[in-house]
Amino acid sequence: MAVADAGARAPGLARVAAIFRRDALVALSYPGNFALSWLAIVIEVVVVWYISRLIPPSPKFGSTGVAVGYFQFVAINSAFVRFQSAALNSFAESIRDAQLTGTLEIVLATPTQLPTLVLSSAVWSFAFTSLQTGLFLLIAIPFGLDLHHVNLITAGVFLILTVGAVSPLGVLAASLSMVIKKTGPVEFISSASAQLFGGVFIPLRMLPVGLQIVGWMLPITHALTGFRAAAAGVPLGGVASDAVWLLVASLVLMPFSLWVFAKSVQKARVDGTLSMY
Amino acid sequence: MRDAMLTVEHVDKSFPVAQGPAAMLRSLVGQRIARRQVLFDVNLRVGQGELFGLLGPNGAGKSTLLKLLATLTVPDNGRMTIDGIDVQRDPIAAKRRIGLCTSDERSFYFRLTARQNMEFFGALMGLWGKHLKKRIAECVELVDMTEYLDARFGGYSSGMRVRLTMARALLANPGILFLDEPTRAVDPVHAEDLRRLIRRNLVDGAGKTVVIATNLLDEAWEICDRVAVVNHGRIVALGPPKELDVDLGAVARYRVTLDEVDDDLLQRTRTIPGFRDLRIVRTETGVDLHVEMEPREGSLGALMRAVSWDGAGLRDFRPIEAEPVDVFKKVTLHDGGR
Repeated sequence: MAVADAGARAPGLARVAAIFRRDALVALSYPGNFALSWLAIVIEVVVVWYISRLIPPSPKFGSTGVAVGYFQFVAINSAFVRFQSAALNSFAESIRDAQLTGTLEIVLATPTQLPTLVLSSAVWSFAFTSLQTGLFLLIAIPFGLDLHHVNLITAGVFLILTVGAVSPLGVLAASLSMVIKKTGPVEFISSASAQLFGGVFIPLRMLPVGLQIVGWMLPITHALTGFRAAAAGVPLGGVASDAVWLLVASLVLMPFSLWVFAKSVQKARVDGTLSMY
Repeated sequence: MRDAMLTVEHVDKSFPVAQGPAAMLRSLVGQRIARRQVLFDVNLRVGQGELFGLLGPNGAGKSTLLKLLATLTVPDNGRMTIDGIDVQRDPIAAKRRIGLCTSDERSFYFRLTARQNMEFFGALMGLWGKHLKKRIAECVELVDMTEYLDARFGGYSSGMRVRLTMARALLANPGILFLDEPTRAVDPVHAEDLRRLIRRNLVDGAGKTVVIATNLLDEAWEICDRVAVVNHGRIVALGPPKELDVDLGAVARYRVTLDEVDDDLLQRTRTIPGFRDLRIVRTETGVDLHVEMEPREGSLGALMRAVSWDGAGLRDFRPIEAEPVDVFKKVTLHDGGR
């Protein structure tokens, strides 16, 4: 019986690397779009800077009671909210693209575990987002973003926790895409929820109590709190409650989202709709 | 009898008639969604190293059966095994033994080159490093695609895409291949090459088991060891093509060339035991009688006596082999499969 030679069998990481490489190659095959996505960052920083000049510094933009400039507040938020957008969009778009290009069935016919397939589909997106976030921060420094006091440990831990906590939302979005074949609801959630309830443009404490509770339930709220604290030099212990929230959310939501994804794939298999779009 | 490489036991499959969010909501609130049955109690056993054809009209259920075997859809009832592995209980182990050649030529990334596509799919199949590169080189060579390996897939013709699909199915050196219309859209020369590759290299040479779904009767008759004719979701005929000719054609055909025919000769022919049909074709030099009879003992001799009686100008007499299309028409149109 001939099967792939066991000695030559790829380890799990080789599969992750292959999916990363595929996504990178596809992205780079659209050079115009790729270049514009970088240019958009420059424009975004400039727009945010102009708007921030209209708003005076306030203690509401910081966490230590000291008046903080609006640019400092919104630049950090805008830079890191990309991770939620990346998570919510990349998983679902990956499924949607596979449906449209006709590759979903053949990928699912390979002996690769579903969690590997779905989780790997966002690795390129997170790597690309990290680079874009870094560029955003670099460009924002000459405009007044203060990163002199940044606590790298806090920033690093929150980066990992953020990816862990928002990824399940992306996997749930991908599950929806698998069944209803559309990503519209996902796009709405990714933009509206983050911008209003996540406190990207408006400090959460300025919202009505009801909306503050909604905001508290979103991972991005805790992630942005952590990143702003890291920029202000706050050690990890100073934002431990947000870190724990993200950790618990990751541990609870990740297996749940993978279970839902497996169920959605199974439903598509039963209904024969894997290749439909 | 060869060892079973593939078994299908009492498999039924249906699909919901209504799809989409509305149907999903209706099912969530407990409403029953109507389903359309596409396979009925399908039973198959394909031996190790056998080339097995699934033949049937469009919509008969051939592709659905292949998708069931490739774990891309799930049966309502029944059990399937590949190399003794239950396809539903251990799909990953089953998939390690399968090479799938879909009929959907879109199943590659159009923005990537063929090599990049093959490297991606090879990695998902569990290959990597030098072994993967070697397998890619070997498989594209088999389908005569080596010189196009670094061209973008989007620029390929339909035939080239199909050939690359075949190469991809072979990458992991699987024990069983499911080929869904592998010569569709391929030019005649490469189609012949593919058929030779399947029959000589893969089945006769490497001992692989191949299940091929096709609409092309001649293809199935030419290369398959056995053929299952599928119609309306049922297997309505099963066996070696030549035996299907006899069993299902159930008719012997002869062409009798004469100088001329008269009413007496026609009358004598029509009264032969087992006579079924007679057609007169006038040619420039004479008359051809196309006679159909049940293949009974003695009927051939009776026909020869009837047409050579009384000094009739008999010039030629030869049997006409049953064409695959006759068998196909018989089992799909007359039987109806229901």
